[in-house]
Amino acid sequence: MANQRILIVHDDPDMVAALHLPLKSAGYDVLDASSSQEGLQKIQEFSPTLIILDAILETASNLQISLALRNPAPQSPYASYRHIPILVLTPSHTTASLRLGSDEAYLPVDDFVDMPINPDMLLNKVNALIGVGD
Amino acid sequence: MELSHVLTYLAESAAIALRADAAAVCLLDESGTRLSVAAIHGLPAELLDRGPQEIQSCALDREAMSSRAAVVADAQHGPLELPGQDFRAGLCTPLIHEGQPVGTLHVYATVPERFSEDDAVTLRPLVDLGVAAITATRAMAELEALEANQAQFIRVMTHELRSPVVVAQSLVRNVLEGYAGKLTDKQADVFTRINRRLDGLENLINDLLDLAAGKALGPAEEGPVVLNASIGRVVLLLQPRAEDKSLEMTFQSCRDQLVVRGTEEGLDRVFVNVVGNAVKYTSPGGAVAVSVQQVDGQAQVEVADTGIGIPEEALPHLFEEFYRAPNAKKTEVGTGLGLAIVKDLVERYGGRIQVKSTVGVGTTFTVTLPLLSTGAV
Repeated sequence: MANQRILIVHDDPDMVAALHLPLKSAGYDVLDASSSQEGLQKIQEFSPTLIILDAILETASNLQISLALRNPAPQSPYASYRHIPILVLTPSHTTASLRLGSDEAYLPVDDFVDMPINPDMLLNKVNALIGVGD
Repeated sequence: MELSHVLTYLAESAAIALRADAAAVCLLDESGTRLSVAAIHGLPAELLDRGPQEIQSCALDREAMSSRAAVVADAQHGPLELPGQDFRAGLCTPLIHEGQPVGTLHVYATVPERFSEDDAVTLRPLVDLGVAAITATRAMAELEALEANQAQFIRVMTHELRSPVVVAQSLVRNVLEGYAGKLTDKQADVFTRINRRLDGLENLINDLLDLAAGKALGPAEEGPVVLNASIGRVVLLLQPRAEDKSLEMTFQSCRDQLVVRGTEEGLDRVFVNVVGNAVKYTSPGGAVAVSVQQVDGQAQVEVADTGIGIPEEALPHLFEEFYRAPNAKKTEVGTGLGLAIVKDLVERYGGRIQVKSTVGVGTTFTVTLPLLSTGAV
């Protein structure tokens, strides 16, 4: 799993720790960004293999990342990163994730992981998106 | 009612009562030293955009507010401070609420000496009514702002309350699944207990927030929702949970799109609760059948399980907040809020919920909602 870099964009260091444990134990390199601005910067700097975003639906700031990557303006520096898979963390007690998933124009992402995190399920989804174990 | 309508009505009524040519209502701003024209009758609309003026700069207002009595003015003795207007007589009376001036009411006429002190007395009941209307409209606006604040508070609390619990659950699950090293049996037992209590806390927070959010949202947010699609999503969401318990979950939709009144989120809450309960209270190997159909011009959703069932004595209390049937308490973590929320929402959307159950055999919940329309899928 060397050179497989996963970028986590989340502002809660404890949640980041909960994501680090399974990802690192599976051998991934893990990078963190605590804001969407830092996230966009690290995407350019490290060109990650996969991005994990926190989707607090009320604050759309993290959506900027998925929009910047998936619907880049013609001159955008992010145009070359549109292939990077995006996994979004969603609250589990609603079907918000399924609603979002059905509307690509609103949140162009590849898959969702319900919070609280189930580490095995997280790894399954990450591996599937990166194409590990195929 | 908008404040501006109330004030325009006051100006109009004052002008009619005194057979005046024009009238205006000025309101005091937060500074207490400036007046703005808030409503007019028979005057150019530009006055409304003039912005606040110092009371000191306007002789009529100054005198009316300081003496707290009506002032009768005549152009023969001084200008009437309305540039470009040909008024020869004016009357200005303060608007007083609980001893405090809140503004002034002006009436104007083109005939000199048109108004007298008696006219101020004639105007008084109208002015009192006007002040009462202003006060009520302002109180209403404050109340609306308060409701908006409450909804905002609930949104913030949703995040603030849930976040730490969800993070703790995620960390504990890492420990339990061995990602933080191998556990001894005793450690595993402790973390299993912590995990269970956190799950209970998460349930409680979700339910409380659902309940609070449900009560904070007005009916204005409701619209047409495709019921089949909504139920389909819920079944998809809960399928993994059913599979974990080796339950057979089936979903039978109907050919037509059934459109009902509600919100997507509200209907999600209803059916995540009802179908979630069926999955929760059914033992491994059992079955949960969800179906949507049109019955007698209404949309009907049936959720049938082969679960533990509900004792007859518990049925009348099932939809009460915090009530839990004795056999449910024994087997699963819960708050007793879920079905209270469900009933509240279903009734808000004009529907009803019914339950039939036999202990040890299973339970069927039936939710009926009025149809807005149907269409082929």
